[in-house]
Amino acid sequence: MARLFEPLIGIACALAAWEIAARVAGNATLVPSPATVWNALVAMRGSELPRDIAASIVHLVVGYVAGAALGLVLALVAGSSKWFAAVIDPFAEFLRPISPIAWIPLAILMFGVGGGVPVFLIFYAALFPIFVGTLDGIRRVDPTLVNAGRALGASRATLALRVIFPATLPSIFAGARLSLGVAWMALVAGEIVGGDAGIGWRILWYQEFFQMDRVLAAILIVGALGLAADTLLQALQRRVLRWLPASEGTR
Amino acid sequence: MSGSEVGRGARVLLPLAVALVLCAVWEVAVRMTHSHGLLPSPTGVVESGAILTSSGVIVEAMSGSLKRVLIGFAIGGALGIPTGLAIGTVPALDRAFRPVLDGLRSIAPIAWIPMAILWLGVRGDAALFVVAYAAVFPFIVNASLAARLVDRRLVAAARALGAGPWTVVRTVLLPGSIPMLFTGARIALAFAWASIIAAELAIGIKIAGQGRSVAGIGQLMVETLYVRRDVDALVFYMLVIGAVSFLIDAGLRRLQRWMLPWSDR
Repeated sequence: MARLFEPLIGIACALAAWEIAARVAGNATLVPSPATVWNALVAMRGSELPRDIAASIVHLVVGYVAGAALGLVLALVAGSSKWFAAVIDPFAEFLRPISPIAWIPLAILMFGVGGGVPVFLIFYAALFPIFVGTLDGIRRVDPTLVNAGRALGASRATLALRVIFPATLPSIFAGARLSLGVAWMALVAGEIVGGDAGIGWRILWYQEFFQMDRVLAAILIVGALGLAADTLLQALQRRVLRWLPASEGTR
Repeated sequence: MSGSEVGRGARVLLPLAVALVLCAVWEVAVRMTHSHGLLPSPTGVVESGAILTSSGVIVEAMSGSLKRVLIGFAIGGALGIPTGLAIGTVPALDRAFRPVLDGLRSIAPIAWIPMAILWLGVRGDAALFVVAYAAVFPFIVNASLAARLVDRRLVAAARALGAGPWTVVRTVLLPGSIPMLFTGARIALAFAWASIIAAELAIGIKIAGQGRSVAGIGQLMVETLYVRRDVDALVFYMLVIGAVSFLIDAGLRRLQRWMLPWSDR
């Protein structure tokens, strides 16, 4: 029973510290109190908030699906052709250290201020972890499994789909979760610097009007969305990788 | 699977040849369409790179950004390592504060920029806040993991031999968690470097065209994009940012192998 209340104690401590900071500052603009931010959140609920959240989710999903799909295809081709791998590997190694954030100015140049910027950044942020993770997984597939499949008469397509692809899933998920932090920041940064919709863009909008209670409320929503994305990915990972021994599936 | 083995020579020459062909096609395309100045071109990037390096503009901006990254990284470590070790050793603390920390960790550091500007000003301290915020969580996560993975028998043995809590921390907990702390530091530094760029871009957008001095690589990029409109320079900055990320990661990996040869990762 006590275990259920322990997280509540932590949250209560954090709220108390926030309230004390707000009282000490004594300035609702400098440090809006928890109650003010809650009121702002309630006031935002009926108007622009759902639209901003939806816009950010659309950016995330469109960019991520496109990046993951390209990464997957490139890795599958590289996994089956050593020549293609020899060409694409150095390019991937060259581009990988360039964080999506560094692309923001060029993305603004290419797509103009708008939804294209955050979508491109998420696309780029998803591409490399998925590509590297998949290729790494393909190279580490247990040859016994492949030989067994072949001996049992599996075609190349069946082999790729039923043996190699499932075996790469753990390393794909590992890469995806590792990159989610940077991907999420790239999305928010893209919306702040070069977007015209979404929760990140809205933070800057409120700042223009000096509504700091709303700014802080939007910041908390960024956190809630980030947490939701990570939780969802984790749940998906557990579901898809049910067949793995627990130690590997939950790392 | 299929295809013959790729020889060592081909492994180097093939990508190089492809890169050269791509650059040539790119260069010709830019020249044919007379879009030099609108689109970056390989020779243009090299040219602006040479100019920016010899004039010292890039060096100055980079050292400004790197200085803030290091300070923010140090603040993140100073706050994150003790917090992580405490959470990792006392399970009740972990259960109480993990939800709060997970929530805070999920806020993209860059989202704090308006509050950071309000609290600390646009001069560079606001970017520092974002960097420290980015760096603190990898430290917390890895320090708590490290403390949890320290062999309990060693702690028990030290206690049985009469070591006080401070001695246990100093002689058992800290040395035992150093490899994982190192990993935390590497992730923290990489994340800090990405977030300084984001923070400086966001600050740059606010003050672009107001004639303020350029403080870091992010502000320089915004100025280049909106004031000087030099597309070649933008590509050059991007390459430099990538090179620094690469050097940070490779350098810390090497340092880790050298300092902690027994730890694999």
